[in-house]
Amino acid sequence: MTLPPILRAAMGPLRLMVQDRLAVIGMCVLGVIIAMALFAPLLSPHDPRHINEIEDGSVLVRGSDAWELRESLGPLALNDAAHHAGQSVIVGRSGTVWTRAAAGDWTRAEVETEADLNAVDLNADGRAIAVGGLGTILLGNGTGWQVVPAPEADLRSVIWLDAVTALIVGANEEIWLLDATAGNIVEIDSPVGRGFPLNAVALDADGTALIVGERGLAIRYDPDTGTAALERIGSSRDLNHIHIAPGGAALVVGERGTLLRRDSADGAWVTDPAPDTRALRAGWIGDDGRAVAAGRNGIIMEWDGTAWQIVPTESERHLRALLVVGDDWLALGSDRFVTRLSPPSREHWFGTDHLGRDLFSQNVHGSQIALLVGFLGATLVVLIGTNVGLIAGYYRGRTETILMRTVDVMYGIPFEPFALILVLLFQPSLTIVILAVSLLTWRTVARLIRSQVLSLRERPFVKAARVAGASDLRIMYLHIFPNVLPLVFLELAIIVGVSIIAEATLSFLGLGPPQSISWGGILHDARLSGAWRTAWWWNLPPGILIMTTVLSVFFISRSLEVVANPRLRARQ
Amino acid sequence: MLAGTSMLAMAGFAAPGIAQEHVASVEIFTTTESYDPIRYEGAFIIADAWRELGLDVSVRPMEFSTLLDRFYSEQDFDATILGWSGRVDRLDPQFFLGTLDSRQAALGANNPGGYNNPDYDALYDAQGAEFDIEARRDIVHEMQDLYMGDVPVVVLFHRDEVVAYNNTQFTNMNAMAGEGLYSEWVPMEAQPVGDRTTLRIGGPQEPDNVNPLASTSVWGWKWMRMYYDRLVRLSPDVEPVPWAASSVDPVDDVTIDVTLREGMTFHDGEPLTAEDIAFTFNYYMDSEYSYFNSYLAPVESVEVTGDLTVRFNLSEPSAPFATITLSQIPILPAHIWSEIENPQDLTPEEIPTVGSGPFAFDRYDRGEFMSLTTNRDHFHADEIAVDGVEFVIYADAEGVFTALQTGQIDMTAWRMEPGQIPLAEGNDDLTVVSVPDFGYFHMTYNTRREPFDDRAVRRALTMAMDRERMVNVLLDGRGEVGTTVVAPVNAFWHNPFVERFEYDMDAARAELEAAGYSWDSDGRLQR
Amino acid sequence: MTRRTYLIKRVLQAVFSLWIIATILFFLFRMGLPDPTSVLITEGLNAEQRAAVRAQFGLEDPLWRQYVLFLTNAVQGEFGTSFSYRAPVSEIVWERLGNTMVLMLAAIVLAYAIGVPLGAWLSWRRGSSTDTVGIFVGLMFRSAPMFWTGMIAILIFGVGLSMFPTSGMRTLPYDADGFLDKIFTLDFLWHAILPVLIVALYYLGSPMLIMRNTMLEVYGEDFIEMARAKGLPERDILYKHAARNALLPVVTQLAVTIGLAAGGQVVVEVVFSWPGLGREILNAVRTSDFPLAQASFLIMAAFVISLNLLVDILYTTLDPRVSFR
Repeated sequence: MTLPPILRAAMGPLRLMVQDRLAVIGMCVLGVIIAMALFAPLLSPHDPRHINEIEDGSVLVRGSDAWELRESLGPLALNDAAHHAGQSVIVGRSGTVWTRAAAGDWTRAEVETEADLNAVDLNADGRAIAVGGLGTILLGNGTGWQVVPAPEADLRSVIWLDAVTALIVGANEEIWLLDATAGNIVEIDSPVGRGFPLNAVALDADGTALIVGERGLAIRYDPDTGTAALERIGSSRDLNHIHIAPGGAALVVGERGTLLRRDSADGAWVTDPAPDTRALRAGWIGDDGRAVAAGRNGIIMEWDGTAWQIVPTESERHLRALLVVGDDWLALGSDRFVTRLSPPSREHWFGTDHLGRDLFSQNVHGSQIALLVGFLGATLVVLIGTNVGLIAGYYRGRTETILMRTVDVMYGIPFEPFALILVLLFQPSLTIVILAVSLLTWRTVARLIRSQVLSLRERPFVKAARVAGASDLRIMYLHIFPNVLPLVFLELAIIVGVSIIAEATLSFLGLGPPQSISWGGILHDARLSGAWRTAWWWNLPPGILIMTTVLSVFFISRSLEVVANPRLRARQ
Repeated sequence: MLAGTSMLAMAGFAAPGIAQEHVASVEIFTTTESYDPIRYEGAFIIADAWRELGLDVSVRPMEFSTLLDRFYSEQDFDATILGWSGRVDRLDPQFFLGTLDSRQAALGANNPGGYNNPDYDALYDAQGAEFDIEARRDIVHEMQDLYMGDVPVVVLFHRDEVVAYNNTQFTNMNAMAGEGLYSEWVPMEAQPVGDRTTLRIGGPQEPDNVNPLASTSVWGWKWMRMYYDRLVRLSPDVEPVPWAASSVDPVDDVTIDVTLREGMTFHDGEPLTAEDIAFTFNYYMDSEYSYFNSYLAPVESVEVTGDLTVRFNLSEPSAPFATITLSQIPILPAHIWSEIENPQDLTPEEIPTVGSGPFAFDRYDRGEFMSLTTNRDHFHADEIAVDGVEFVIYADAEGVFTALQTGQIDMTAWRMEPGQIPLAEGNDDLTVVSVPDFGYFHMTYNTRREPFDDRAVRRALTMAMDRERMVNVLLDGRGEVGTTVVAPVNAFWHNPFVERFEYDMDAARAELEAAGYSWDSDGRLQR
Repeated sequence: MTRRTYLIKRVLQAVFSLWIIATILFFLFRMGLPDPTSVLITEGLNAEQRAAVRAQFGLEDPLWRQYVLFLTNAVQGEFGTSFSYRAPVSEIVWERLGNTMVLMLAAIVLAYAIGVPLGAWLSWRRGSSTDTVGIFVGLMFRSAPMFWTGMIAILIFGVGLSMFPTSGMRTLPYDADGFLDKIFTLDFLWHAILPVLIVALYYLGSPMLIMRNTMLEVYGEDFIEMARAKGLPERDILYKHAARNALLPVVTQLAVTIGLAAGGQVVVEVVFSWPGLGREILNAVRTSDFPLAQASFLIMAAFVISLNLLVDILYTTLDPRVSFR
C-alpha cells in the first residue's frame, strides 16, 4: 500500500517515539491526563463548583482549656436542650429527640412527628414539652411522647410557667398559653402586633416570663394578669436566646455578638462588648457569675468576671444550644455548615477549599482547560508559524522582509504583560487566553520553519518540480511541507507544553475565563484566600499536575528532536 | 362545584390559551474574582436562586473600571453588584439616602438604578433642611420605611473589617466604625507599653499623593488628616467636637459664626488665624479639585469677621454642615498656598506639607515608608502618648501579616485576609478586632428596564436571595445581612422597623403569582 | 556589508520594532478603554468633573493628536501623569525597572553560570545515570510553573523554616541613597535569594540541555579528534576546545530566554511581592491606570528589545564568521 507523502512523513516520528523509553512514558502519562479530561464529570465525585455544606448533630464538651468535639448524635442538627434533676433532653431537626438519665448515654426517643423541633423544657415533675415547626407541640412524661394538636405556626420557644401551664412563642409573634392537661391553647395579645418573630422565652425570678425576639423586642408576660407588655432592654438587634438563672441573673444573646446581661433580678440590663461580631444563638448564666455564650461558626465565649473571652474550639459548626449540668458543659449544633479547608478525607480526597468545594473534582476538571488551551493553542500557533515560515522562506524578497520584521516586532513583546493588557481591554475569556498564547508564540515556529525552507528550496527535487511547471502553492505544500513536517511535530509538542504553562500562568494571575476551573485558577484561589500557607492539599496537586503534563509532553518532544534535525535542540 | 369552576377559571388565567411572553433575560454585572472574590461568588449564588424562580440569568464579571463605566456613566445594565465604602462623613445619612434621590439619576450620578419616588425626594429635601436632630431622625426613618417596600436596591450585606494590633507594644487601641484601627484617634489615644514609642502602622495601600488639592484616595486623606487640623473633628462616636474652632454658633438657618481657638500655630511657626480659614475655603471653592465639592456645595461665601472669627454664609439650610463640611476640609496655611497658582500640577517634591495638626509631616518614600512626629506645640499634645506615627507600605496583605507577626509593625491599616484571621487569633501577642462597617455591598436593579421596572419582580427576586447564607459562606459569618441603606451600626439613623426580605422561595413565587406571572412547562417565568 | 553598517541597521530595526509596539499599544488602549475616568466615579466625581479630568489628560483631543503627543512624549521619556498616583509615570516606572532588572539578570546569570558547565559535564558523562537524572531534573524545573515552585519555596523556606523573608526586597524602613546603595546590602541579598533561585532553576534547563547536545555534536568533529590524537588530556579537550565551540548556540538561546524572562517576571514579582515593573503593570491594569500601564509595558518592551540587540552584538563579537547579511 502506498501512502501519500504527508502521511509517510508523519509515520517516521511516530516510529521514533515508540523506540524512546522516556517518550513512551510521556505518552502514557499524557494519555492518562487526556482520559481524565474526557471523563472528568464521571471521575469527579462532587460538582467542583458546589459549596459543600453538611448538617450534623454536633456535641462539644468543655475541656480544661478548649471545647472539644465529641461523637456526633446523628446527621441532624440539634436545636435546644433542657435539664432537670439528672434528666436531660435534646431536641433537633426532623423530630429528633435524645434523652439521657443521669450520666448515662444519649438515647434516641421515638416521636410521631417529622417537624423540626426548636425548643424543649422540663418542669419540676420531669414532664417535658417540645415545640417546633408546623405548630408541633410534644409532651413527654418520661416514657413516651404525645402530640398536642395546635394550629399551624412556626413555634420557636417554650417554657413551663407551672406544673401544667406552658408559654409558647412563635415566629409570627404568637404568644400561646398551653394547658397541658386539657390540651387547649389560649392566644395572648402581643403588645406589638406586627408579626415580628419571637425567638426565646425564659422564666424570671418573680414568676413572670420574659420573651425576646427580632429587632430587640422584649415582652414580659405576667401570669397573674394574663397580659403581655413591652419592655426595653436596650438593643434593637435580633435577639436569639434568653436564659435566666433561678436567682435572677440573666443573659440575652443575639445577632452580631449582642450580649445583654443582668446581674440580679432587680439589676439593670447592661450591653457587654463582645470579642466577636458573629451571631450568638445560645447563652447560659449562673447566679454565681459564671456565664457562657455560643453561636455561629463555632464561637464560644465565656465571662471571666470582667469581660467576655473567646474560647478556642476546633469547629466551623454553628452552635445552637448550651446544656449546663453542674460542671459538665455542652454546646450543641449544627445547621448546615461549610466544610471549608478540610484536609484530605474519604469524602474529599484532595480536601476542600475555603468555600468547602471539593478539590479533587476541581483538579480533575482543571485538566480540560489545560489540554484544550494546550492543544488548540499549539495547533493555532503551528498553523500560523508554519505558514508564515513557509511563505517567507519560499518567496524570499520583500515578502520575507515584511514577515520576518513582524516576527522581530513580536520578539519585543513580553508575553505576560501583553496578555494582561489584552484582558484589561477585552474582558477575560477562553478566546482571549488562547489568542494571547498563540499570538506571541508563533514567532519561534516561523523563524525555525523559514530557516529549514531556505535550505530546502535550493534542493534538486524542488528545482525539478519548478522546472516541471508546478505552481508555487503545489511546491510549497506538496514538496517542501512534508520535509518540514518532523520539525512541525516537534514544535507542536513543545508549544503544547508552553501553552499549558501560559494558560496556568494567566489563570494564576486571575485572568482566566470566569467560572472556569483550571489548575492555575485553583492556585489563584488558594493565594487569594490567604490560606495557602497552611492548606498544602490546596497547593500541591495542581502544581504537580501541571508539571507532569508538561514534562510528559517534553519527553515526547525530545524523541522527535532527533528526527527533526540533529542540530536543533530544545530551545525553550 | 361552584368553587371548583372558579378555581379552574383562576388557573386558566395563568395557563396556556392566553398568549404569554417569557420574562426578559437578565444579566448580573459583578467584579472579577481577583478584584473581589466575595462580590464575584455572591453573583453566582444569586443567579442560581433566580434561575430556580424561572428567570433566564447570566453573570458577567467585569474589570472594575468597565463595570463602573457601564453602571454609572452609561447606566447600561440590568442588575449590578457594587459597593459603597463607609467613610466617616457618610455616617450622616445625607449621602446614602441621596443614592435613591431621583434628581441624582442622571448619567454619571449616584442613582443609576433610576429609582423615582416624588414622596421620597420631598422627604430628602425636608431632612436636609431640618436642624432639630430628633425631627430629622423621624424623617430619615420614614424615608427608609418608604423606599424599602419598593426595593430599588438590595443592601446585600455589611462586611466586618477584621484588623489586629500587637498588644505587647500598645494598648488603648479603640477601633472606630467604618475606619477600623487606622483612624485619626488611635494615634492620639494609643499608650505604648513596649520599648518603642512611635506607633508603626502597616498596610498594602499607600496615598495616591499627599497633595491636599489633588489626592482623591481615602489613603491619602487618612494620612493627611493627622497633620492637617479641621475646624471640627468627629469623635470616635461620630459626634462633632470643636477642634480648631472653639465654638460654632448658628446665627440663623443660613449663617454660621465660627470662633477659632487662641494661640494655634502652623508647623512652621506662623500663627493660624481667621484669614487662613477664609483662604482655605475660598481656595477650595475656586479650585478645580472636585473631591470636596459635595461638602462645599451649601457654602455661598466665607468672610473674616475678626482675628479669630469667620462667618459662613450658606445658600440653603444644611443640617449636616457641621458634621460633614466643617469636619472634612483641612486648614491650609494661607502664607504658603496663596503663592501657588496651579496646585494640581505640583510634583511630589513641591507639595507643601505644613499643617497645624497634632502630628507634623516628616518623610514619605514612595512605595515604602511614611512618618510623622508628634507636634508638641499642639493644644491636644498633652493627651498624646506616642512620639510619632510611621506607616510601612507592603506589597500585599501577606507582607503586612508577616510583619505584624514578627513585631515589625504594631497594627494593620487594612483588613486581614480570611485565611489570616485564625492565625492571628491563635497568637497571644495579637488582639484581633472586628469592626462593623456602615458601608455596604449592594445589588442595584435598573428600575427603567424590564423586568426590574416591576416592583413585584424586584420584591420577589429579593426574597429569593439567601443573604444569610452568603454572609455565612462568603464572609465566614463576619458580617451582617443588610436592611436599609443606613446601616444598623449607625444606630441613631437606622430604622430597625422596616420590611425585611428574608429568604423565602415560596413567598417569592407567591409574590410573582399575585402580580400575574406564571411558569411554562419548562419552568420559565412568563407573563 | 561592514560590521558597522550591520550594527546601524540592527539598531534601526530595534527602533522600528519599538515604534510599531508603541503604536499598537496606543490604539489598543484607545479602542478598549475609551473613557478611563470612570474609575473616578467612586471618588464622587460627576460627569462634568470627569470631563475636566479627561481634558487634563488630553483625552478630549482628536485621536491623531493624542497619538502624536504620545509618541513625542514617549521619545522624551515623558509618559504623563499616573491616574492613581497622580505623579509623573516616568518616575515610578524607572525605579521599578531597576528592581526588575536586578532580579532578572541575577537569575539568568546564575542559570547560565550553572547550566552551561553542568551541560558540558553531562555530555562528558553521556549515557550514564547521572546524565539521565540531570536531564530529568532540568526538564522537571522547566515544566513546573514558576509561581508554583515559588509558592512552595516560600512555604518551606519562608514560612516553615523561617530562613528567608517571604516578600519585598528590603526590610522596611531603611535609609538608602539611591538605587545602588539599596541593593548592595546583605539585607537585599537575603531577600533576593529565594526569587533569584526560583527563576534561575526554571531557566537552568535550556542552557544545560543545549550545551550538552552541542558538546555531543562537537565531539564528533575533526579538530577534537586531532586534539585527541595529539594526546591532550581529556579535561583540556572538554573545556578548552569543545566548550568554546559549543557556546554559540547557547548565546543564541540567551536572546530567547531574555525575551521570555522579562515577561515572565510578572508572576515571580507577584508571588514574592517584588516591587518590580511586572507587578506595576498588573496593578495598573487592575486600577485602570492607563498611563502607567502603557508606560510600564512600553518600557518593558524597550528593555527586551535592547537586550536582544545587545545579544546580537555580543554574537557578532563572539563569532567573527557571522555574515552581516
